[in-house]
Amino acid sequence: MSLLSIRDLCVAMGPQEILRGVSLDVPDGSIVAVLGSNGVGKTTLMRTISGIYRGRQGSISFAGQPILNLPAHRIVALGLCQAPEGRQIFSNMSVRENLVLGAGDAGPGELDRIYTLFPVLAERLRQNAGSLSGGEQQMLCIARALMRRPRLLLLDEPSLGLAPKLVALIFDLVRRIRAEGVSILIVEQNARAALRIADHAAVMEDGRIVLAGKAAELRDDPRIAEAYLGGHVHG
Amino acid sequence: MIDPYYLQQLAIGLSLGMTYALMAIGFTLIFGVLNVVNFAHGEVYTIGAFAGLVAITAFAPPFLAVLFLALAAGAAAGFSLERIAFRPFRRFTDEASLKSRAMRESTLLSSLAVSIVVREALEIVFGSEMQPLPFEYMINAPVQAGPVTLATGDLIIFGVAAAMLAGLQYMLKRTRIGLSIRAVSNNPLGARYVGINTDRTIVMTFVVGSTMGAAAGILVGLYYGAIFPAMGFIPGVKAFVAMVMGGLSSIPGAVISALILGVSESMATTFLASGWADMVAYGFLILTLVFFPSGLFGAGRERV
Repeated sequence: MSLLSIRDLCVAMGPQEILRGVSLDVPDGSIVAVLGSNGVGKTTLMRTISGIYRGRQGSISFAGQPILNLPAHRIVALGLCQAPEGRQIFSNMSVRENLVLGAGDAGPGELDRIYTLFPVLAERLRQNAGSLSGGEQQMLCIARALMRRPRLLLLDEPSLGLAPKLVALIFDLVRRIRAEGVSILIVEQNARAALRIADHAAVMEDGRIVLAGKAAELRDDPRIAEAYLGGHVHG
Repeated sequence: MIDPYYLQQLAIGLSLGMTYALMAIGFTLIFGVLNVVNFAHGEVYTIGAFAGLVAITAFAPPFLAVLFLALAAGAAAGFSLERIAFRPFRRFTDEASLKSRAMRESTLLSSLAVSIVVREALEIVFGSEMQPLPFEYMINAPVQAGPVTLATGDLIIFGVAAAMLAGLQYMLKRTRIGLSIRAVSNNPLGARYVGINTDRTIVMTFVVGSTMGAAAGILVGLYYGAIFPAMGFIPGVKAFVAMVMGGLSSIPGAVISALILGVSESMATTFLASGWADMVAYGFLILTLVFFPSGLFGAGRERV
């Protein structure tokens, strides 16, 4: 069964079409990766799912409910949370305040679970989020999105700008989060790492999905190998 | 031994500064969440005073009830102001509008328009001169504190304002809505990702800020016995100066600056004719803008 189902989604910024008919499914309990180079519309897709951008055409349904163009806060309340590109943490507020805000109506009850997943955050609760290192900020961003116990977690470029060791740590965390029953839609430029953890993957080019399938198959697809895996070092 | 006269001026200055602080907080909170100056904030102060006046003339309630009604009127004014002058411009959420200065400037002008309409409407209904106020509601009875003579108003203003500041601090640090206000100030996009209803948060910011502005209005009105439609203009300018001195979006900065402003003005009347005391605020504004363009307390402090 599809937890998230996107059909023919078109999104435009003014006269410029960014997404031109994207269809994508996230089966319940799976990790789906969206690959593609810069500027093909991956972040636009993620923002439209979360209700930050408005779609012009098409549909998005989450757990059977249409969510396209619902206000962002209502989408979050349904259990669809995102760790966005650029992290967007509250840098002037404490780590704990960031987490409590992430919890919303759910209250701070999830804090203990977060501490076991992210022990480093537990040591920094009173610190300003802006004073954390890049890797810690990324963890805070993911932890904040988990505070509501979402059914679907959207991760937009979680490895961007991180050292290889931290990238491995983040991807390991993604696996553990899925093991707890959270479905995941992840956008990555680091195709190699993403394909290793994903069940399904889709490749975007110029606002369209040009290739989709099982991650294991895409890993061996010569087109992928050439365009996204061959010789590229993305960190 | 300090001359009691200076102690007295200091106390008066502190209570005056507290009223500026109450006003400046509204400016600062709203600037924090929206990045625009609310030009109608002075009118909220006036509305607070007039709501108290109307209550007094209509059914002469006890002092606390007058205060409460003024606060309620301020809250209602803040709510309506956001609906009329600010929300309509937030329909335009595309990237181009968000970046355009024209959008911010139109919001600024719409709040100025509301301010003019409110002032003119009050003049039509009440006339532009000072409103008569029953003597028993005035809060200027002398109080002897050691060698210093104060007015009850000084103590009441200081007490009410301090209580409101403490309440505000508690709200911003400990309550959901307070955390949301700070989150929207800090990172509006991040706030949407965590599921904060930003529209509701912005309305609440106006309600809270305007309640504090209205409190200042009724307290000053009853202290000086001076309630008239244009009364909000000068305090509005002073509070604006305090906000700029404090670094635009820092509440502690705005409060400290407001107190500095109040005390300086009250001390200045010793050396200057009282008509010149207003010059102090403008002098501070110029000095701040020239020498401390990011506020007296430096940039990078927490917004709100």
